[in-house]
Amino acid sequence: MKCARCLLRLQGLGSVVPSARPANRYAYLLQSTTSPVLTKPLVAFNSHGEALRHFHGSSAWAKSSPPSSDLKEKEKEIDKSLLSRDELFERVARNAKTKAAFDKAIEAFTKRERRRRGHVEFIYAALQKMVEFGVERDLAVYNRLLDVFPKEVFVPRNFIQRMFNHYPRQQECAVQLLEQMENHGIMPNVDTKVLLVQIFGEKSHPMRKYQRLMYWFPRFKHVNPFPVPRLLPSDPVDLARLGLMRIANDLDTKVTVYQMPYTDITETGEEITLPHIVGTQSPDQVELLAKHDPSRPVFVEGPFPLWLRNVCVHYYVLRADPLPPGEKVEEPYDPERSLYYPLQLSLELERDMGDLGDDFDVEDLDEGPVFAMCMTGQGDQATLNQWISGLQEANAVLGRVPTLFRLDAGPRELQSPAGESHRPHPPPEAEPWVPGDEGGAGPARQEVDVTLEEEPQHSRGVKQ
Amino acid sequence: MSLSRIARHPRAGLLGCIHQQLFLNPSSLPGGADTRPMSRVPYRRPGEPKDNRPPWKKIKFDFAKGVEGVGRQMMLLKKELLDPLVGPEGKPMLEHMLEQNRVVWEFRGPECLEQWSVSSDREIGGQSEAYLKLGRNDNTCLLYGSLNAAPPRDGETRYSGYCTLRSKQRLCSFDRKTHFDWTSFNTLHLRVRGDGRPWMINLAPETYFSHQKDDIYSYFLYTRGGPYWQDVKIPFSKFFLGHRGRIQDDQHHLWLDKINTIGFTLGDKVDGPFQLEIDFIGVCKDYAHTEEFAYEKYKRNPEV
Repeated sequence: MKCARCLLRLQGLGSVVPSARPANRYAYLLQSTTSPVLTKPLVAFNSHGEALRHFHGSSAWAKSSPPSSDLKEKEKEIDKSLLSRDELFERVARNAKTKAAFDKAIEAFTKRERRRRGHVEFIYAALQKMVEFGVERDLAVYNRLLDVFPKEVFVPRNFIQRMFNHYPRQQECAVQLLEQMENHGIMPNVDTKVLLVQIFGEKSHPMRKYQRLMYWFPRFKHVNPFPVPRLLPSDPVDLARLGLMRIANDLDTKVTVYQMPYTDITETGEEITLPHIVGTQSPDQVELLAKHDPSRPVFVEGPFPLWLRNVCVHYYVLRADPLPPGEKVEEPYDPERSLYYPLQLSLELERDMGDLGDDFDVEDLDEGPVFAMCMTGQGDQATLNQWISGLQEANAVLGRVPTLFRLDAGPRELQSPAGESHRPHPPPEAEPWVPGDEGGAGPARQEVDVTLEEEPQHSRGVKQ
Repeated sequence: MSLSRIARHPRAGLLGCIHQQLFLNPSSLPGGADTRPMSRVPYRRPGEPKDNRPPWKKIKFDFAKGVEGVGRQMMLLKKELLDPLVGPEGKPMLEHMLEQNRVVWEFRGPECLEQWSVSSDREIGGQSEAYLKLGRNDNTCLLYGSLNAAPPRDGETRYSGYCTLRSKQRLCSFDRKTHFDWTSFNTLHLRVRGDGRPWMINLAPETYFSHQKDDIYSYFLYTRGGPYWQDVKIPFSKFFLGHRGRIQDDQHHLWLDKINTIGFTLGDKVDGPFQLEIDFIGVCKDYAHTEEFAYEKYKRNPEV
């Protein structure tokens, strides 16, 4: 019944419309609201909004007019050569690999023919090429790619089609597209949902995948207690600042730039590049260093890796060995630090089994106090000497304390998996830091001249 | 290690001849495809020849090891028999009921490293490396290595670049499985020192059906990096269910009565070296945390 009605309506249309027919002979026209391709609405819709097709025969538009004349016209237009999937992208990539070029490639495909044959392979190829063109994080590009699918063809129309995984290849392709979005952490928007409903209907696999994305992504968006900004600063000083604020573990810490990166050309034509030195010291660390016994040495250890998303920076640490258990002194808290309530209470309360609190039955790891941290462009001893001299401004103790350098120490032994002794006995690189004049005088009084360059807080390359 | 269970043909009885014709022979399928369910067969790299040795050839006899093994099993059996005399899990009843914190794993010597197994995507043909050793002063463990996200070129693997540290299944006497019972706790407490990379903690409970074998409850472990130790407290209600790496629609809270293993995995698609130092892993009871489950157990077919 429905089919007879379809036929009548189409025949009616066929008599009215042939003059308004577009250049191509295909009646299989698709209407899409967001498609960049202009379509003339020549498709008849029934009361349910479903596109009507011819019941019998091919998708030739009407049996009254012979399609042969159009064929000849069309043959000249259709390019019948065998194209590989990547060809469109390669053609476009010759100019420049940008988002505009990628969009052009998609548009070229959609404009090429109405039927969009090979759209599945095209979309797979596009997904692979996205990284080259630099558009893998762009939601609009994904939506445009999803638009390449023909609309309403793959929507199941009855329960049998819904049961039997209607158009499985196309559904799998759309699921792969959404999976690539998921891998890059891009949240889809309402355009994606509308497109998916138009293409596959509501109970399809891509729609289900979209629902999962929309359920889990908001839940895991703010789960990181130490978030790293998506766009990392390109300036090494800013990056060092970000890294040091992160590892300092103290909100009161201040970051000081001891030296900005500087390239100088001397008279002889040599280039001298001075690396940046950015250091941090929190008030607690200053206090610890002030209390440090000058007869015990302090060590400069490093470089240790710190990953910020996909960038690895290295930091150096100024620390001392832990005191042996016999020498530890528990200093009482200064009651003047807090005038409103006592910081230490010595109450004789008995705690029973159920009130043990948060103490785990583990021995406390004492690795010695950390006094300061820094990040620098070049990790050699001269640069770190400069850092120490810069630190001496705030901590006079450093002038009297012997400083040993343990570079390339710490858990950065990635080369040998076999058990290597972790603590290097003072190897040749651990030299006592003695200024040039007093060679070999031992860890006695050491004079330092500190040169801190007064420069704006951004390096030269960055626009103010 | 225990032998894999091999399917046996039903004994040819009265109806045996008829049954055997209906029995699906693996060799009869096109391409020689394997019909054994995934839950029984260990992973076989594409291109590797199939291991078709009969079961009796897979046993290795060694007398010295056998004697040593018997001694070890006897010690474990003795411990297993005498512990209940003291109380549940070898502790006095009052202590077991009232304890709020328990250290489950700590790394105080080389024998602690035996309880852990390290693997990376080298098993599927990737180029990542991962090694485990004791840290400074033998007090911590250090997992280090480097990741490489280039997928192996075997035609079917799409993603790669991961490494895991997983605790081995705890065994009591005669190689039987024991499980951790953490019903009186509700938070996982770790002390770690990472390098800023995001890890994932996986808990594998004991399951009943073979389809549930790879059910793993996971949650994220974000490391800060730096020289200071990081205390991480994750309530068990936050762990979500995933199967073979895919998060599931039908979520359920983690049952704490039979936990088998804990694992740490790194797969953040960034090539480069990594390191993670773990001081101890413990469980504790946080009375302030009353949440049962953090995610909804929502409908399977929601209307769109």
